[in-house]
Order: sequence, then C-alpha cells, then structure tokens
Amino acid sequence: MSMSAAERERIRGLFAAYRATGDLAVRDELVAANLRLALHLARRYAHRGVSQDDLEQVASLGLLNAIDRFDPDRGLEFSSFATPTIVGELKRHFRDKGWAIRVPRRVQELHVRLGTLVGELTHQLGRSPTIEELAIAARASMEDVLEAMEAAQAYRSHSIDAPGRGSDEREQAPLGMDDLELSAAENRLLVDDLLGQLKPRDQLLIRLRFYEEMTQHEIAARLGISQMHVSRLLAKCLDDLRRRTDTTAS
Amino acid sequence: MHATEQPGEGPLEIRLTLPALEPYARVARLAITGIATRSGFTYDEVEDLRIAVGEAFGMLVVPPDPEATLRFACELDDDALRIDVVRDPPHPIAEVGELSTLILAAVVDESTIDGPAGRIAVAKRRQPSS
Repeated sequence: MSMSAAERERIRGLFAAYRATGDLAVRDELVAANLRLALHLARRYAHRGVSQDDLEQVASLGLLNAIDRFDPDRGLEFSSFATPTIVGELKRHFRDKGWAIRVPRRVQELHVRLGTLVGELTHQLGRSPTIEELAIAARASMEDVLEAMEAAQAYRSHSIDAPGRGSDEREQAPLGMDDLELSAAENRLLVDDLLGQLKPRDQLLIRLRFYEEMTQHEIAARLGISQMHVSRLLAKCLDDLRRRTDTTAS
Repeated sequence: MHATEQPGEGPLEIRLTLPALEPYARVARLAITGIATRSGFTYDEVEDLRIAVGEAFGMLVVPPDPEATLRFACELDDDALRIDVVRDPPHPIAEVGELSTLILAAVVDESTIDGPAGRIAVAKRRQPSS
C-alpha cells in the first residue's frame, strides 16, 4: 500500500477539492486511487462462504463511505481512517449475511449467478437483457429468474449504525397525518430530512437513481459494483425510507 | 388472492386482488413482473416495475386494515404495461410525498397519483430496441 510522496500529496489535494466542491468526478478519482486498499482488505475475508465479487463490492462501498466521511484536516492518513470503515463494512456483511425471509437455496444460488450474468449479457448485447434471455443463459425458468431478482429484497443488509427505531427520528420530522395540504416546500423539507438520515452512500444511490435518473446499470458502472448489488441496496434504501415515512406519519 | 386472465383480441387484461397488507407486496411484485415478461420486458425494465409496484403498494397500505384489499388492473399490449391500483374500500392516500412522486416518475413512463381517491396508475413502455 505504499505510495510516493508526490502521489500522497496529489491525493491530499483531491480530498481538499472534494470536501470543498463535492465534485463527483473528484470522488471517482479518489475511489480509483484507493481501490487497491479496498480490494486488498476484501481478499483477507475470502473463502468464508461469500463470493469474492460480493466481498469486493462491499469493500468498495466501505471505501466510498470512508471517502465521504474523511476529514483531511485531522492529519490522519486516509488509509488509517478507511481501513476500519472498510473492515467494519465487511464484518457487517458477514454478520447480516442471511435472508430476511425464507428463500430456497436454488433461488439464492441463482440470485448470486444472475449478478454476473446480467453484467455479461448487458455487455454482450449492448443493452439490458430480457428476462427470457437471462433464463436461457441461467438454464432456469423465467419465474425462477423473477424470484431470484425478488430475492434482492429479501437479502438483509441492514447497517449496524442505522438509527434505531424509537430514536429521535420522530422529533426530527414532526409532520403528521393532518398535514394533507402540505405545501411543496414543506414536502421537500421532509424529503431532505428523510434523505439526510440515510448514510452518505445511500443518499448517493437515491440521488443517482431518482434525481439524476441514472439506470441501475449506469450506477453500477459508476460505483464499480454489480448491478445486482445496486438493486439490493436500492431495495434496502427504499424500504428504510418507507419505514421512516410511516414513522413520521404515525 | 385471486387473479383472472382474459385472453383474446387486443391487450391482455389481468386483474389481481390482494390483502392491503405489507407482506403481500412481494406477491404483487412477482405477479406483475411475471406479466411484464410475457411481452419481453428487459431486466432493467422489470427492476423499474418492481420498484413502481412496491412504491404504489407501500402508499396504499397505510393505514393497515386487515379487511381492505388492493385491486390491481393490468393491461399488457405489445409495447406497454399499464397498471391501475386502487384500495377497496376506498381510502385516501395518507400523504402523497414528493419522494414517492419522484420515484414513480423516475421508473415508469406515466404515473398518476390520485391521493383523495386512493388510486395510483402507472404505465411502463417497453424500449423498442429490447
């Protein structure tokens, strides 16, 4: 992980620029410059029953998280700061690895396989594959493919540092059932407030998908993770947001 | 739950009635994406539909009522799937949030949320190249 003094200085400059502007292109450069660290840490958790592809995606997300939270003014090297964040994300993945609802093993396996197939077929065809094309490639029925896609919803990846239910969430967004005539501005505040409660990574996903209207495929390419993982994370984010909305409305 | 299919000339119409309870959202997503695959929708489009159906379901199941149902009317032709979902007995949508509106607008081609009537209609067109 050693790097030259010039490279270290360049990265320090990038962090300063990212903190000042929030420019996502700068952030992408930071990801590229530090990806080796994430992959290195992911390899340390290999052969424990989770695919290497999944581990690398989780570690990459940990890296994004660390980049968003890193404050270069504190004098800490980024690698020292990022390592516990990435390792924490990996450990959380192992802890939470499991299915919120009972999903047959063959569907779980197909779900994992689809992650690769979707990427391969999208590349080959130059467009998103149909469900039938995926089914043929996976040697499964179309119903099985749909169930495997649905499994993204059942794959639990709740984060350990998500605010617990019954915390201050209600007080932060004191809007109730009687506010049917909410003005657009108030409504926007609620959305901002809800989004503000999400982790930076999740905020980014929501922004890219629903505000910038990028496809899952485009987001996957941009973040360097699989489309299936984007799907899984989006499902979790939407679920979180829906629960928070329910909480504020009750 | 029951579903009836009415094959014949013109668009295929399928009706689906489910309890207005959160656990049935999965059934709604699976059934409706299953319908979409009949017309060759792509993985991306099916993912969008899953989100749209989940969002509509989430908006209409509040407040919970074990007696209430959600009635989906789906119309599938060669290039589009139209879904109209309404709660029975009718109940206004508690809150039409900007985020829900945004989400639907991002994932389908047409969306209408009738808050007072408790009705949501969406249309997803199949991309010509797919």
